[in-house]
Amino acid sequence: MNSSGSTAAEGPGARFLTTHWSVVLAAGRSDSTRAQSALARLCQTYWYPLYAYVRRRGHSPHDAQDLTQEFFARLLEHHSLASADPNRGRFRSFLLSSLNHFLAHEWQKVRAQKRGGGCQLLSLDLALAEQRYDRELADNATPDKLFDKHWAGALLEEVLNQLEAEYQQAGKAELFAALKQTLTGTRESQPYAVLAARLGMNEAAIKVAVHRLRKRYRGLLRAEIANVVADPEQADDELRHLFAALAG
Amino acid sequence: MDTMPLCPSCNRPLPPNAPKGLCPECLLKAGLQTDAQPGAGDPAQPKPPPFVPPRPEELARHFPQLEILELIGRGGMGAVYKARQPSLDRLVALKILPPGVAGGAGFAERFTREARALARLSHPNIVAVYDFGQAAGMPFFVMEYVDGPNLRELERGGKLNPREAMQIIPQICQALQFAHDEGIVHRDIKPENILLDKKGRVKIADFGIAKLVGQAVSDAALTGAGDVVGTLHYMAPEQVEKPLAVDHRADIFSLGVVFYELLTGELPLGKFAPPSQMAQVDVRLDEVVVRALQKEPARRYQHVSDLGTDVQNITAAGSANPPLLSQPPAPAMPPAPPPEETSDCRILPAFLLAFIFGIFGAHRFYVGKTGTAFLQLFTFGGLGIWATVDWILIVCRAFKDKKGRRIAKWT
Repeated sequence: MNSSGSTAAEGPGARFLTTHWSVVLAAGRSDSTRAQSALARLCQTYWYPLYAYVRRRGHSPHDAQDLTQEFFARLLEHHSLASADPNRGRFRSFLLSSLNHFLAHEWQKVRAQKRGGGCQLLSLDLALAEQRYDRELADNATPDKLFDKHWAGALLEEVLNQLEAEYQQAGKAELFAALKQTLTGTRESQPYAVLAARLGMNEAAIKVAVHRLRKRYRGLLRAEIANVVADPEQADDELRHLFAALAG
Repeated sequence: MDTMPLCPSCNRPLPPNAPKGLCPECLLKAGLQTDAQPGAGDPAQPKPPPFVPPRPEELARHFPQLEILELIGRGGMGAVYKARQPSLDRLVALKILPPGVAGGAGFAERFTREARALARLSHPNIVAVYDFGQAAGMPFFVMEYVDGPNLRELERGGKLNPREAMQIIPQICQALQFAHDEGIVHRDIKPENILLDKKGRVKIADFGIAKLVGQAVSDAALTGAGDVVGTLHYMAPEQVEKPLAVDHRADIFSLGVVFYELLTGELPLGKFAPPSQMAQVDVRLDEVVVRALQKEPARRYQHVSDLGTDVQNITAAGSANPPLLSQPPAPAMPPAPPPEETSDCRILPAFLLAFIFGIFGAHRFYVGKTGTAFLQLFTFGGLGIWATVDWILIVCRAFKDKKGRRIAKWT
């Protein structure tokens, strides 16, 4: 489920206009390869929530795999983005409603003549997806709610992967591994003295390192959220929505 | 059963697929926090708080020369208030931009330059700028107040048909051409920025503001300062790539999108169908729209006035029907054919004459000379009746003109 190295982690020179979903929306009028790769990148990150949703809706693993492949193949190859719906501001909502539309109207017709060979533009490890789905705890939430939960998980995983990659590139993989708990932990559970001993640094340096890590994490998180909304004003709202989804 | 690992922070069980083994809820919560030490030279900028427009009472302090009446719009870039200038006893619109916009080197200079350029745009179809400045860190404009809806509101209410669209477009073209001749590109043409006043005149708002705010937004990386992205649908492709290096032809593209949306109700996305296939519009308009929506600026109309001329020619050529707006026609439209006028003084003598002969004929008839009397009676009586009826029609039409409605259907 790992995505390839992303470009979302650009610095202050990055303009929101290059965030993936806004590029896709803007290019809805044209067949730019940039939009194509932006959409593919988005789908590569967020396909598991769709798979889980389809399974949760009652489809068998085999059907769910076919469905997921077929859906993404259509999405990426047919550019079905030509509706003037102003609510297309969020990629998450767009993907879910597209999927529902697909399930309701097209799947029955298509399943008899599915092409096989899968979607060429994405690498979907569907067997792994099924294992992952299997491991999940029983949950009374509706499929929609569950979708949002998985979405939040996919988002976080993507962000953490980017963060880890950055530290690895800087030769600080060990530092990341040691400090990553501080992203969620309060100070008491992660005493800096312990970390300092482990890494051979003094406490003040640990403090600075932790601060930098958390700050960079927040930046990447916001960048990734911005990737999936069309409008910077929606970013905060999207974060809150996902938080509510996880808590509920 | 295995014991689940717990999150050290919230003590809840960690879900099996937790990202990197960390509690997703705590992760997101950490993501929502703002930084304790802003501006440490770190690539991850803190997000400024979202812009909340001040209440009219709060604004009044900063604008002693105005009477702030009410907030009439927000979003876009900032907020707009209806206000009154007691000195001139007129209504104005006060537009303020969010404080975050005004930071950065050289902003004040750019702002002044831009505002002065806008002040040169004196045109009946462009919202006039009366004054500008900065108050309490907020850049502001005092502008002409337009009492009427914008195109978006009209579209939503379903109040526009293709023919009305054809009358609006040439006005927009005139305004844009005027601005382009002054070297000013709007950069943000969209239905929300096109207003219509009570007389049905088009007024274009927010000229050049996109450039001012756009620069500021790009300086501040990801911020919540305004939804410039909301206009993505209307942006020319070259404008999406390099927002600040476009020329007047970007406006032509945006106008094409607006035009298409007016005609069909949809946005031209992907491989869009030509307007004539989606609505009852003249097929010749397809070419106009397609040419405006060319991705390559060099392949579009090079002057917006050419677009307006083409639209007007199509309108004139295709008007087999009389003009249908119940509002008075826009200035750019050719005048409606005048209603038939017959002067009363032509009818009245004929009426009197016929009446007299009719009486004469009747008299003769009764007296006994029936032959010619009949003829006279019927001829002149008939003439008299016709004249009377015609006279009544004239009177009724005159009444209609005063009230603007017809008295009866058959007039």
